[in-house]
Amino acid sequence: MDPAQKVLVIPCSGIGKVHGLISREATYLVTDELAPGQTETLCLALLVKGDEQALARVRSQPCITVDGCPKACAQKNVTLVRGESDGAFQVLQVLKQHRGVQPGSASSLNEAGWTVARELAELVRDKVAELAGCEVTS
Amino acid sequence: MSEEKLRVGIISCSGEEIPEGTISRLATRRVLELLRPDQTVTLCLPLFLAGGEQERDFARSHPTITVDGCDKRCAQAGTEKHSGPVSAALVVTEMLNGGYPDCARSSRQRGEVDREAVWVVAETIAATVDQLLAEGGGAQGRGAESDGCACSRPLPGGTVAINGEEVTIPGLQMIFGQLLETGVAPEPGNADRVLATVAIYYPVPEAEREAYREALLEAYKRHSAQAGV
Repeated sequence: MDPAQKVLVIPCSGIGKVHGLISREATYLVTDELAPGQTETLCLALLVKGDEQALARVRSQPCITVDGCPKACAQKNVTLVRGESDGAFQVLQVLKQHRGVQPGSASSLNEAGWTVARELAELVRDKVAELAGCEVTS
Repeated sequence: MSEEKLRVGIISCSGEEIPEGTISRLATRRVLELLRPDQTVTLCLPLFLAGGEQERDFARSHPTITVDGCDKRCAQAGTEKHSGPVSAALVVTEMLNGGYPDCARSSRQRGEVDREAVWVVAETIAATVDQLLAEGGGAQGRGAESDGCACSRPLPGGTVAINGEEVTIPGLQMIFGQLLETGVAPEPGNADRVLATVAIYYPVPEAEREAYREALLEAYKRHSAQAGV
């Protein structure tokens, strides 16, 4: 990938369950803390609306999706626009390694929720590094 | 067969790029959980493209309010494009009218300004829900309870004794928390203020206002003591 291009990290932000909030906060951890120079996010709703600028960004920049549930709305919406994304993650990938934890609610995360969000964010950061062919800088 | 009940659908933009998207999302959750738990349902906006017919039928089967973070109005446009016309379209930047600057996108950075902004937007959404229900729900039909998102369940309630009967008020602890945050002391002089605040979120019967007034003040005192205030 062009090193000047930022990777788009797009969460589902699902409003019904805590998983959507974890996807959203994991994305902010990546774009604001773990890889701020290499990543940015995009409003998924812009894709649903069919916004031309958003469609162009998704078609021209590398994309990683972060979904809360197996309905995979972020991944499906990106795939509809440009074909396969460059990376697709789901909260359940990390959550299943923490069986039995209650990560919070759809409105706020507790300590366990933040742990899951951070682990997920680190997976996304590693994927960004792989796409960039180098280490990411925070 | 379950009795059909009119519920208003609320669809929030996801707005990941801007703080107003986070405010929109949190305010919508507050209405679903606390302010109008029995009158509202929601659906994830991105499901319109990723989901099936049931999702796309949402705005046709519920009077629907969209809540957008900015004037791009993605929730309104997306809903009307994929599901049907909405009954009301709200925009966070218009509701806040230039106030509440420097809100955060991530809840890690949330502060008092963010919390206040969420309350302002949530109360506007709740008022719009009331208006639609009073008008009979607009042009849309009635959605059965099972149509709604299974996650739109009310917050656990707080219980007070009114004339010898226990009454559960959804989200009472959260309402008390908000009163404490705004500096309302648990003393008799504030009993009217406590009652008026609860009455925004819970229909207090006119004939029982005095009983509620006393019971809520006592409950608020207990809450404050437990919170160490």
